[in-house]
This record gives sequence, structure tokens and C-alpha cells, in this order.
Amino acid sequence: MSNKAVVYINQFFGQIGGEEAADHEPEVRDGVAGAAQAIAPNFDGEIVKTVICGDNYMSSNQDKAVAKILGELEDVDFDIFFAGPAFQAGRYGNACGAIGKAVKEEFNVPVVSSMNVENPGVDMFKKHIYIFPGGHSAAKMRDDAKKMAEFGNKLLNEEGPFLAEEEGFYKRGIRHQYFLPDETPAADRAIDMLLKKINGEEYQSELPIPEQDLVEIAPAIQDLSSTKIALVTSGGIVPVENPDKIQSASATRWGKYNIAGQDKLENRASNKYKTIHAGYDPAAADADPNRVVPLDALRKYQEEGRIGEIHDYFYSTVGTGTTEGEAARMGAEIAGELLEANVQAVILTST
Amino acid sequence: MKLEIGNFHVEDIRFGDSTEFNDGILTINKDEALQVVKEDRHITDADIKIVKPGDQVRLVPVKEAIEPRYRMDEGPLFPGVTGNLQQVGDGMTVALKGTSVLVVGKHWGGFQDGLIDMAGEGAKYTYFSQLKNIVLVADTDEEFEKREQQKKNKALRWAGMRLAEYIGRSVSNQDPDEIEEFELDPITKRDTDTSELPGVVLVMQPQTQMEEDGYNALNYGWNANHMLPTLMHPNEVLDGAMISGSFMPCSSKWSTYDFQNFNLIKRLYEEHGETVNFLGVIMSNLNVALEQKERSAQFVANIASNLGAEAAIVAEEGYGNPDADYIACLVALEDAGIKTVGVSNEATGRDGESQPLVSLDPKADALVSTGNVSELIKLPPMETVIGELEALARDGLSGGWEDDEELGSSVKEDGSIVMENNSMFCGDGVAGWSTKTMKEF
Repeated sequence: MSNKAVVYINQFFGQIGGEEAADHEPEVRDGVAGAAQAIAPNFDGEIVKTVICGDNYMSSNQDKAVAKILGELEDVDFDIFFAGPAFQAGRYGNACGAIGKAVKEEFNVPVVSSMNVENPGVDMFKKHIYIFPGGHSAAKMRDDAKKMAEFGNKLLNEEGPFLAEEEGFYKRGIRHQYFLPDETPAADRAIDMLLKKINGEEYQSELPIPEQDLVEIAPAIQDLSSTKIALVTSGGIVPVENPDKIQSASATRWGKYNIAGQDKLENRASNKYKTIHAGYDPAAADADPNRVVPLDALRKYQEEGRIGEIHDYFYSTVGTGTTEGEAARMGAEIAGELLEANVQAVILTST
Repeated sequence: MKLEIGNFHVEDIRFGDSTEFNDGILTINKDEALQVVKEDRHITDADIKIVKPGDQVRLVPVKEAIEPRYRMDEGPLFPGVTGNLQQVGDGMTVALKGTSVLVVGKHWGGFQDGLIDMAGEGAKYTYFSQLKNIVLVADTDEEFEKREQQKKNKALRWAGMRLAEYIGRSVSNQDPDEIEEFELDPITKRDTDTSELPGVVLVMQPQTQMEEDGYNALNYGWNANHMLPTLMHPNEVLDGAMISGSFMPCSSKWSTYDFQNFNLIKRLYEEHGETVNFLGVIMSNLNVALEQKERSAQFVANIASNLGAEAAIVAEEGYGNPDADYIACLVALEDAGIKTVGVSNEATGRDGESQPLVSLDPKADALVSTGNVSELIKLPPMETVIGELEALARDGLSGGWEDDEELGSSVKEDGSIVMENNSMFCGDGVAGWSTKTMKEF
């Protein structure tokens, strides 16, 4: 029985149109369409469906688009899902990652994509799907698609162990133990590394420590009585209906909620605020959201004149499983708003 | 200091009328051996079995491994532990090679105990599957800890040491097959060629994080929790100065056998005079409070600096909290200008996605990784179980569980098991055995 693949491409590579067609709703066509042809020659099997979706449609209606595609694939028999290649196109990369992750979770099939290292989709989705380094533009279509197809063949033929360093896909932060084929014992590896380090030769640490991007602690504020303070949290406190649909883990979204004139945050039982954070027991935060976003205490300080002002909005996202890249982006976006509102200090609560 | 280890290569082990070693065959008089075991009245029940590589045997809960040896000056094998204190590391000790005394609980296990498969897929996970083992399987009247997750295992571990010495005595009047020599001149009395080579220290961090006596590694019988890092001659470690504790999740454990044969020490000896000047072992420890961790790191770096060490290897017995001691020590050495390599396992979770060490620092830029404690391992049933298989699920072994939402119990009705690497006996081979590393998948 030959292997069956489904390929996802955007409106441009689906030959529907360029930017003017970016709102194209997802459709699933039989067989190979558009740039899915680039995968076909190197894939040992059959491309049974091609999914085409506008980049804008996917980014502004992601849940809807994903649900529609998953629905249409439900009765399709396939063994692997290819998305892209997406090159350096940010929205396309995001779309490939989002649909790829959803397909993997829903149908438990491997998902392979390709993106340029500059594509923000790499950091967002490399943990969830296999992403190969790709070119900047469609000039690299043939090479990038070939890598995807060939790795797809290996996956389906179970020609493991599929190490990042051997296959070439972006490292995903997924580390497992591995028996060295040459059985070099740890003592020999340690001595070898030591001698190389002593002699200034190149060596490979078996546990590379990720670069740390540490932020210097700001100097203390001398006079808080005239300071405007904002509350920001990664503890997932949101209005009970979670209007911004912030994810309970691995968040990519944040929300801001008006607290002007409120003495404190009312709780879940009052149908006002709750936590959607999946990384801690929500009971205490649901009973009293002020323990995560301490508006009640801050209002008292304000009454007593110890602080100047409280910003009219608090900002919230979820910190569990959230990638550093996403956290930094959300932090920069929130900081931009706070600076615009002349906020001078932030109380950032984690959980 | 010059240590000679007279090696006798054991080709086969049998039971017989007298305990003796002839032409590679070790014969054990079981009754006599059991009398030695039962010298401690706390041993209530004991048996001895022989298992060899390829036997369809699963051992659990395994508590300790000791190489059978005898000290030719007739001193205790483990001074300060099994007898009076005396200096070790100088003189002659005889050893039965290719074999170990394994101590297995007849019923009860704990957090610190592990599992060994002598054949099949499971055999690749522990060094001890490759040895011909003399297995003491016994029970005790230590009621106070019978159902405790953390066990001191005192009666059983000490019985194992007595048994190892009893068996070792069988070769005390024979010429060994070969003699391994371990000799280092005093640090300041070495020839110029050696002194000009880069000075290297091995920093050992045995597990000593229990406040209560009875669980920690012992240094000449002294609870290594109660010591500051100190300079030791590597021969002392190889010759019975150190015995294993009874605390750490088992794949991280350094058994007494590991101390007696510490591979990193042997490799540094091989390099000594060729590529490095092996200055010695700095015996450190692992602590609970931050200040204790920092104090030990500071002492290690200072001793190494004053020895003129140019490079160091740090080996950690454990993971999780003690990663902080490990990284602190690596950083302190690097800050002192000493080029350092670390050896330890990682804990990246069953999905491989967790942070590998509790504490990370970019200065720890040369690390050898020997395994993932939480790797999931499924193994088929084994014909024979020595000990009690149910212990893996029932007794809180670090890699076993009674129930799991997805996986059910660690022990299945047909005798197959699902466990975390955590419970593979000394499975991560930090002493230097491990042929495992960690890779990105």
C-alpha cells in the first residue's frame, strides 16, 4: 500500500492569486494542486489532497480555518502532512505551523514543513512539527520541497532515529537519551573534551546551554507617590468569557482589561474574572483574582497616597509552556502600550 | 602512594563444598557464605543466587553492588565502615574481576533501589548486566522502614560488604592473573616532564543530601554531608575509602562497585604523564541549603587553584536539586580560570521537553550527558524474578508507580513492566561507564 500525503499551501502557491486573494477561504482539492507539485517528484507515495488557504484568512480567522480544514480531512486516509515550504513569508509560516500543529494533534500523523530561519513561524512551531531550514524565496522551492519529501519518506519508512543534527531540521528542544552506536563510554568522552578544551581545540558540549538574554534589573523608584503603575500578569487572569481567547498554555495572545474605578477584581463566582492558566491549581485564583493581580492592595496604596496612579488597564497572558520568543514579543507589545500611556512602573506577577 | 590491585578474572561461578578460586572458576560454599551474611541478627532470611549475562532473570529491588575483594594486609575492606579505621590506597588489594555482589531485597524496595535485567532489551540499560553476579537476596527485621519510601538498607548493604570480603578472601593466597598499579608521586615531587603537563583534578560530588544519618555516602565511615571538600588520593577512592549511600534515584546512583572501579579515575591515570598531570581527587559533596552549596563550590575552586590545576572534571551523583551544586561548582572552577568538564545525567521528562538541569549557566560550556532519568522504558516479562517484581510498583521506586492515568501500573499481570530510566540500577553510569548521551530529536 503506498503512502498518502496531504499538502498545505497558501493562495499564492495555490495559484489563486497574490495579496488580493489573501482572504481566500480554505478549500481542499483532490490530488496535487499548485506548488504541491514540488513535493510530488521526491515523495514515495501519492498526494491525495491539496489544501489551499489565504494567508490573511488563516491569520485573522485561525480557529475557524483550522476547524474547517480538520473537518474536511476527517474522512481522508493519509499518513503524512506537508505544509509549505513557506520561505521567509511570515504569515505563510504561521499558517503552516498552525495547521500543521492542529493536524498532528488531531490525526496523529507526522507533519513536515520548511521555513527560512528568519521566519517567525520557526520559533513558534519547531517544537510541534518538523521544520527544515529553507531559502528566502520561492527560488529555493525545488530544494526546500525536496528536503521535506525525502524526510517524509524516511519518517514513513521508520528509518530512525531522526536526530536533529543528522536530519537537519531545526532543533526542537526535545532531548532524549541515545545509545552511541560506537559505544564510547562517558569517561572517554570527558577526557577527550577536557584535552580539547585545555588545548584550545574545538569540542562539542553534549548539553549546549542556550544563550541567555537577561534583562538588567532597573534602578529602584525613589518616589512612588507620583508614579503611575500598571499591573501585568502571566497568571492568566481574564474576564470569565476570555474575550481574547488567550490559550491556557503555550500562549501567543495577550489581553488588556479595563479596571478604571474598580476597587478590586470580582471573582469567578461573581461571573467576572478567573484564571485560564493550565499550569497551576486555579482554585485560589478563581476565588480571589486579586491574589494574582493585586488590584485591591494597590487601590489601598493609592488611597493612602503611597502611589500616584493605577493604569486603567491590566494586561494578562499565560506563562506556562510559552516560548521565550513569544513572551518577548508579547512583552514588547505590552511595553509599547504602557509607554504610550505614560506608565512609569509595572508590577509583573507570575505564578 | 602506590596501590596494587591483583586481579583474578572470573570465568564462571558455581556453588560447591568450599569457597575457592581455581582456574577462573569461583566456587562458593553457600552455607558458609550465608553464615557470614547472618552475622547480623537483623538479617531474617537470606539466600544467594548466581546470575550471568544472558540469563532470563530480572532483579528488583537492587540496593547495592560491591566488587569482591580482600585487603592483603588483612585490614577491613571498608575502613571505618566494616572495621577499624586505617589508611587505604597504598599496598595490595586483590579483586575478583567481572563479577559483583548484588544486594537485592527479598520483598521491600524503595526510592533508592533499582532494577537489573540480565538479558534482552533491558540488559543494555545497566553496566551490571554485563557481569557475573553473586546475588544476595535477603530480608531484614528493620520494621521501622519496611514501608518507608526512603530506606537506609543498612543490614542488607553491610551484609553485602561482608559477603564481598568473604568471597575476596578466597584468592588471598594465590597469584593474581594481572596486577594493576596505581601510583602517583606526591604533587610537589613529580618529575619535570610530568609537572609541566596541565594539572587536572577530578571533583567528585557523591550524594549526601540527607540530614539524617544512614542515607549518605560515607568517606572512611564519615557521613560526607558533614565534611567540607577535601583533597584525596585517587587510590583511596579505588581502595574502599568511599561507600555508596542509599538515597538517590537509582539510575543516578554510584554504587560501592562504582567507587572501587571509578572509570574517570582510571582514565585520568592512563593520561597521567602522557597528556595531563593528574593532581588528585577533590572529594566534595551535595547539599541542601544554598549557602552549603556555595561553600562547597568555593572550597573546591580554592583547593584546585592552590594545587595549580589548569583543568578539572566534575562528576555529579544525582539530578534535580543537586544540579545547583554541580553548576555552582563548574562555575566556581571556571571563574578561577580552571577549564572544566562536567559529567552528569539530565532530566528532560518523558517527552524530552523539560529543562535538562535545574540550574544552567553559560560557563558550563563542556558537559558530558549520560542519560535522561525520566526516559520511559517498556520491557517484556522475564522468566525468573529475583526479589519481588511488585516492589517496582508498590514501594515508591523512583522510576516505578502503582498507577498512572495513561500507563496504569508499572508492573503488568503478565510480568512485563513499564518504568522510567530512574530505576535502572546505576543506569546512567556517571562514574564513566555510560555509552548513552543526549540528543535533540
